[in-house]
Amino acid sequence: MFRYLINRLLGILPVLLLVSVLVFAFVHLLPGDPARLVAGQDATDRDIAAVRAALGLDRPLWEQYVTYVSNILHGDFGISLKTRRAVSEEIGERFFPTFWLTLISMAWATLFGLVIGVSSAVRRGRWQDHGGMLVAVSGISLPSFWLGLLLIDWFSVRLGWFPTSGYGTLAHFVLPSITLGVGVAAVMARFTRSSFIEIAREDYIRTARAKGAFERFVVWKHVLRNALIPIITMVGLQFGFLLGGSIVVETVFAWPGLGRLLVDSVSYRDYPVIQAEILLFSLEFILINLIVDVLYALVNPEIRYR
Amino acid sequence: MFNFTKLVVAGALLLSVSTPALAAKDLVVGVPDNLTGLDPHNVNDTLSQSASRLILQGLFGFDKDMKLVPVLAESYEANPDATEFTIRLRKNVKFHDGTPFNAQAVKINFERLANPENRLSRASLVNMVSQFTVVDDSTVKLTLKEPFGAMINNLAHPGAMIHSPAAIEKYGKEVNRNPVGTGPYKFVSWQADTLKVAKNENYWKQGLPKVDSVTLRSVPENGSRLAMLQAGEAQFIYPLPPEMMSVAEKSPKLDIISKPSIVTWYVAMNNMKKPFNDLRVRQALNYAVDKRAYAKIVYNGNMDPMDSVVPPGLPFYVKQGEWPYDVAKAKELLKEAGYPDGFETEIFAGNSTTSIRAMQFLQQQLAQVNVKLKVTPLEAGVAAQKIWSVSKPEDTTVQLYYGGWSASTGDTDWQLRPLLFGESFPPKMFNVAYFSNPEADAGIKAGIATADNEKRAEAYKKAQEAAWKNAPWIYLGVERLLAAKSKSLSGAYYLPDRGILLEEADLN
Repeated sequence: MFRYLINRLLGILPVLLLVSVLVFAFVHLLPGDPARLVAGQDATDRDIAAVRAALGLDRPLWEQYVTYVSNILHGDFGISLKTRRAVSEEIGERFFPTFWLTLISMAWATLFGLVIGVSSAVRRGRWQDHGGMLVAVSGISLPSFWLGLLLIDWFSVRLGWFPTSGYGTLAHFVLPSITLGVGVAAVMARFTRSSFIEIAREDYIRTARAKGAFERFVVWKHVLRNALIPIITMVGLQFGFLLGGSIVVETVFAWPGLGRLLVDSVSYRDYPVIQAEILLFSLEFILINLIVDVLYALVNPEIRYR
Repeated sequence: MFNFTKLVVAGALLLSVSTPALAAKDLVVGVPDNLTGLDPHNVNDTLSQSASRLILQGLFGFDKDMKLVPVLAESYEANPDATEFTIRLRKNVKFHDGTPFNAQAVKINFERLANPENRLSRASLVNMVSQFTVVDDSTVKLTLKEPFGAMINNLAHPGAMIHSPAAIEKYGKEVNRNPVGTGPYKFVSWQADTLKVAKNENYWKQGLPKVDSVTLRSVPENGSRLAMLQAGEAQFIYPLPPEMMSVAEKSPKLDIISKPSIVTWYVAMNNMKKPFNDLRVRQALNYAVDKRAYAKIVYNGNMDPMDSVVPPGLPFYVKQGEWPYDVAKAKELLKEAGYPDGFETEIFAGNSTTSIRAMQFLQQQLAQVNVKLKVTPLEAGVAAQKIWSVSKPEDTTVQLYYGGWSASTGDTDWQLRPLLFGESFPPKMFNVAYFSNPEADAGIKAGIATADNEKRAEAYKKAQEAAWKNAPWIYLGVERLLAAKSKSLSGAYYLPDRGILLEEADLN
């Protein structure tokens, strides 16, 4: 297991290098000249040339890439073209708002999803099932944009319980995490239900029941444990996606997160920020996959890594 | 017992009287975007300029009606050729860090801005100056390489505001995040999407500012921004999208601000390309578009008619008349020009909802005279490449371009020269109509060659006449700006160039 972990961690480096090449190439293939965007709407040709030289964008592409990678190896992700601040600061400032929002949303969404999913599966075909799936389908279908504005209108403008937008206190987390989590909870509920039902049909479950084990014991010990494997995979995937920052939720709630930063950076052709964000997202996904793999082994001792 | 009650009542009274007086007056403003920087010498967006205007000031500036006023200057004199400007400065003004404001400070700032090695994006505001001379402690003289009549307007631009020289020395490029000026508010913090500034207790204008702090919060979603105002978390928000006017109007606690701007909206027709190289075609298209319907459909009525190539809010504006809506005349002109069955063409614009709606409106209007319009919204980066970076006029693919412009120097020169001067074709500047007319060019040149306002007025009158009758654009309108504020807020102004002015703001 330990050697396996070391190998996996070492394997991250070539993947990131490959990602860096691809991102660098794609970003520079985007049409549009960042120097012109940086220089502003009413800049003259001379201003733009000055900006281009200042940003080092007039040098050959390979040279820019080599500088870029060697700077990264020294821990320097460059300077944002838009704000002229260190990219690491720019991202660092927005990482935690996104991280905490993701964590809180995922926590309640997973819990709710599991409970609704299991109760629907166990009471299959009965009102608990129909009710649970009605909630889940609604959750998937609600556009988060609309839901967010609706929540703001009810709970902030009319009732005054929570702030309308922004980041700061715990109260600021309530509405955005509900908006962000609803879709995830719904997906989790449906996924748990189907995975649960599938496992419940397996031979070994029938055997357990035939042995005369209590139903509750069968459900929690055998079914849930085995159904957890695909559920963990799903949680990992969702977690990875949310860590990239939800553009819609961050926009509606004026959340200072990574999703908005990425969109702003793309429309501004802020190359260093785009590159660093994509590298960060790749790293997050790789790490989450690793954690998911380790969790498999913990949940099911049959799975071993060498 | 009696005394005790009295004491309690007196205490309660005292508290109720003193609480409002002690409560800090914190003004929160909801803005649409993130700031890009606080060094006005190096930012290009109106929002960042407005933000730095809380902290820094220029020699000249604009009042709430966009009229040029002296700020850190008291007066100026120019020679008749507009090559020498002598500016007398306000005395006894100090920067937030205690450094005195004087001629030396002005020289250091302008030399920083003009120096090409500093690569500051606003360098062009002062790079026609060959020498900045300190005459005495409160007098500075600018000697220009060539006549430039709009010099004082350039100095009134937020890009020419004055940093504390000590801050430039201490922070270098990082003044961008550590601005120190002479303005009504002192910088406190700027993180992610929130800027905080606090009252400058030693502000040189007596009795100002009246609020203790100002916070600018970026809330990109229109609905959330309005909700913030409705919930009392903000006291001023801008812009207010026209479609949300009715919601804001219903609230008894809110005021809507609607005022004329200097933002002109038009369709530039490529005057060098067929069929738009024919004056009759350009006239026909102007007759074919119902501008009132445009104002109503695209801007919910928040648009005034355009009656010159210069908006009424700029100096030297001369009304030329309105272009009526007349489909029959449009068809007749197209027939004369050899297009009895119309033609097909393409229009470019940005990809905002409003731009797309405007283009679709134009598509319907022009269809009435058999002009088939292909609507192509362009993302900002693509637009930069396809429209503004094309190096030769022959190579451009622009046929029609829908866009808006506001002259950020508040001067007519910056309306006419970038957009309609024969030497301003992209990529040099923004004459995407590729309009070149000797009379207009002569007017634009003469207007900038003198600081004598009578001569400038005469020159710009000619330029406006020549441009208007040649119809390089489809003239659509001059935007009205919308913002909303709490009734408790007074003294906050929304400027015609989309900036905000909060020096006199007060909360009751």
